[in-house]
Amino acid sequence: MNTCAIETQGLSKRYHRVTALSDCSVTVPEGRISALVGPNGAGKTTLLRLLAGLARPTGGSALVLGGTPRQDPAFLSEVGFLAQEIPLYRRFSAQDHIQVGAHMNLRWDAESVRTRLTGLNIPLDRPVGKLSGGQRAQVALALTLAKQPRVLLLDEPVAALDPLARRHFLGTLTAAVAESGGELTVVLSSHLITDLERVSDHMILLSASRVQLCGDTDELLAEHKLLVGPRKDTAALERMHKVVHTVSTPRQARLLVRLSGPVFDPAYEAEDVSLEDLVLGYMGADAPAAYAHLAAVGDDQ
Amino acid sequence: MSFLIWRQYRLQAAFAALVLAVFAAVLLITGLKMASQWHTILSACTASGTCGSLQQQGGASLGSVLGHDFAILSMLAPALFGMLVGAPLLAREYESRTFDFAWSQSVTRTRWLLVKVGWVLLAAAVWGGVIAELVTWWSGPRNAAYQNWFQPNYFDQQGIVPIGYSVFATALGIAAGAVFRRTLPAVAIVVGGFIGLRLWTSQDLRLHYMTPVTTSYSMTGNFNPPTGSPLVGGGMTGPNGQVLAQNFNSDNTFNGVPISSLPHACQALASQASNLSTQASNSAQNAANSAQNAANQCLARAGYHNFLSYQPASRYWAFQGIETGIFVALALVLLAVTFYVVRNRDA
Repeated sequence: MNTCAIETQGLSKRYHRVTALSDCSVTVPEGRISALVGPNGAGKTTLLRLLAGLARPTGGSALVLGGTPRQDPAFLSEVGFLAQEIPLYRRFSAQDHIQVGAHMNLRWDAESVRTRLTGLNIPLDRPVGKLSGGQRAQVALALTLAKQPRVLLLDEPVAALDPLARRHFLGTLTAAVAESGGELTVVLSSHLITDLERVSDHMILLSASRVQLCGDTDELLAEHKLLVGPRKDTAALERMHKVVHTVSTPRQARLLVRLSGPVFDPAYEAEDVSLEDLVLGYMGADAPAAYAHLAAVGDDQ
Repeated sequence: MSFLIWRQYRLQAAFAALVLAVFAAVLLITGLKMASQWHTILSACTASGTCGSLQQQGGASLGSVLGHDFAILSMLAPALFGMLVGAPLLAREYESRTFDFAWSQSVTRTRWLLVKVGWVLLAAAVWGGVIAELVTWWSGPRNAAYQNWFQPNYFDQQGIVPIGYSVFATALGIAAGAVFRRTLPAVAIVVGGFIGLRLWTSQDLRLHYMTPVTTSYSMTGNFNPPTGSPLVGGGMTGPNGQVLAQNFNSDNTFNGVPISSLPHACQALASQASNLSTQASNSAQNAANSAQNAANQCLARAGYHNFLSYQPASRYWAFQGIETGIFVALALVLLAVTFYVVRNRDA
């Protein structure tokens, strides 16, 4: 569990004048399911595509299973990538895709796809264009797993699914990770924090094309506290701890703080944070107005 | 890899085979009819000993309208393949984002593209080749009767050039799809690019692939290049062998050469011929002819010559080869662009 499946150093990607990812250094240990979170346009898709070797970085480096992502069958066979749009040939049936995959891969477990899909009552012989969105996502995931990759990169695969389909999808995913016996590492991007909370044990938080947090979810949650207290100058607090985000009302302030030790000020009451608090706090800290109101709503409750 | 290509294109392949079958049937039926027509004409002219002037005889009515239309239509076949198969080859993968599926398997992009482009270009060559050979067979009697293989609507439909056209149109569609990532602009590029280049080559470029043969002959003589040889130019040369500039827009000319630039001794005869030839009456035409003859004799004495330059009919296959080579070479350039774009642009 000590080896890193994914390791990036100062990874950057610019498209003409737009910086999609900037100075991104993250590590994901082998065997983890890492939640990749961040607001729209934060660089999640860019990071995943760089790791999959579908795009080339403009700066820094990435190591996936010890190698630079590249166009080479040996590398490609180790990495499974599923794009947000669930790209499948709409006129092909699942069975067609299974056959295509068998011709285009070094390793290919066709039986696993059939077992998974029949278990979910998804017809193998119907064109995938005629399946529901949830079924299509399941077909795509089953095909990606049939490669028996050691790193699985999933870009918002559940975004378009209803709650039940989402649960099925994530169930398939966690079962696959369990079956792999610690061999399979997953990076899964999503906006659905409750889903991520259930399946992931590692997280990467991107905002405004930069990495805000990266690490073991439990450790990160333990390092952060929500301090509730009077509105007052936080300079003393900030000498020791990092205040990530502040929501204040005239009478009260709620501070999301990354601790570097105990809090001595008795005016504050420390509360544990949830993954959602953490994510929203960091998103709110970095300007995106779209999430600021969510943070405020969470605060009122 | 090839399995994916087959699975993707089996419907189009079946459709193309069907179109070819219909095309072959029409050409076969009308072609057999034309062949028997031709045999009748041949045996008739052999009996009467008039085979030397076949063009003026029944040869003019050779072939049916339907077959002829199909032969003309065959000139569009390469563009059709380029539009329907070449243009969507990459553009559709981009539009539906299925390249993300293809490129997430264990096959490199380069290999994926190589196999895909290889099979499709092979199909394009077969498509162009089969149609061209059918039309060539069908045109046999017409070729024999008219002997004008170099005419655009003969040269462009027969032999091996349609293979080059077909490969080029398809490569153009593929490259445009790689650059624009959308089918419609790629189709537009195929239509514009293919028709533009085809017209340019057949109207302007073709007769200059090789240095034409120039034959000089007496002012009073006559010269006919071998049958089926397209003319590239002609006119008169002066006593030092210099080519005389022609101006067909002005009135005071003899064979297109301004009369003032002819020797003084011949100018009077030349203007007489020039003036008389514009009059309609028979007597004027007769007078014009004798003035023309007199002027020619005068010019011949002064050291003037006629000349004609032409591409000998025997160069037909050389020209077919050159034109096919040009289109295939352009296709290779377009494929190089395609590979560069696909390999180097982020997906």
